[in-house]
Amino acid sequence: MNSSSASLVLAAHLAVLSSVSFGGFPTVLPDVHNVAVANGWVTDQEFANFFAVSQVMPGPNMILMMSFLGLKVGGIPGAVASALATFGPPCLMYYLSYRLWDRFRDMPWQRIVRRGLAPLTIGLVIAGGYVMARSAAVGWQSVTITVSAVALNLIAYV
Amino acid sequence: MLDRREASSSGDRVPLSDLFIGFLKVSLCGFGGGLVWARRVVVEQRQWMGEQEFAETLTLCQLMPGPNIVGITVCVGAKLRGAIGAVSAVAGFILLPWTVGLAVGGVVLQYSEIAVLRNILGGLSASAAGLLIGTGLRLLTPHRSRRTALLFAGLAFAGMAFTRLPLTIVLLSLAPISIAVARRESARIR
Repeated sequence: MNSSSASLVLAAHLAVLSSVSFGGFPTVLPDVHNVAVANGWVTDQEFANFFAVSQVMPGPNMILMMSFLGLKVGGIPGAVASALATFGPPCLMYYLSYRLWDRFRDMPWQRIVRRGLAPLTIGLVIAGGYVMARSAAVGWQSVTITVSAVALNLIAYV
Repeated sequence: MLDRREASSSGDRVPLSDLFIGFLKVSLCGFGGGLVWARRVVVEQRQWMGEQEFAETLTLCQLMPGPNIVGITVCVGAKLRGAIGAVSAVAGFILLPWTVGLAVGGVVLQYSEIAVLRNILGGLSASAAGLLIGTGLRLLTPHRSRRTALLFAGLAFAGMAFTRLPLTIVLLSLAPISIAVARRESARIR
């Protein structure tokens, strides 16, 4: 497989995955991993490095991570194709569903649904932070960093 | 909630450049996910949404596929300026940071085996995690007087943090119960 057709295969796959990545893109990461490694595009270690670097870079992490993959597979065009495939389809869905959601904003049922869903979302955000902290925790130093970051975020109004 | 919507829809419109720059800032500051700075910019600094509306929009985005933070960007842009606003916000969020990130990341990845670099990456991850936890706790503040809200936030947290269940399962099993409880509560108030 030459690099441009590999880029297309990757982009097509990412477009499908991004359209079904309920709960955020990390939920489909295992699948991306399997496809990328099975096709011989990257090694396990490279994939892990893509993740680590994209997590600590500012900006859209998952889009960046998929672009690193695209870059490896097909150079700059591959990176662009992967980025578009990762955020394009969900953007369209977000837009359409927001319009729909907004139209019914003042209906009583929607207020109840919102009241019911908000705590779950918040719990998931905190869980996301907790899981990240656990995977980053290699000793008391990292735990200290995490705890101070929580405290700073709660007291500081930057 | 009503007054906030009126305040933002009537009178002066938010310039598209504000959306571009606002989300550029979210993107550049927000290492480790971006949600921390999305809340800070959208709720605290620009006051494009209230705490509650932000949490609700986040919920909507979490129910949809894709990167949630991009969803927030689309929704805020769409709320303030419609389709063109959504495009401006997303462009601000992605264009420059993506270009820079790809260039810098490409270089960093060449040297990812160096021990010092690994430690730096680890330290950054740990603080990013702490910021995310803090943001969640802040989002919880409007709900702190509702005991059932705290309970369901705790259940969702435990479901994700301590079990290996997929997020869709956690969300789909808790959501109907949580909504039913909210319905009973609002019926009692009325």
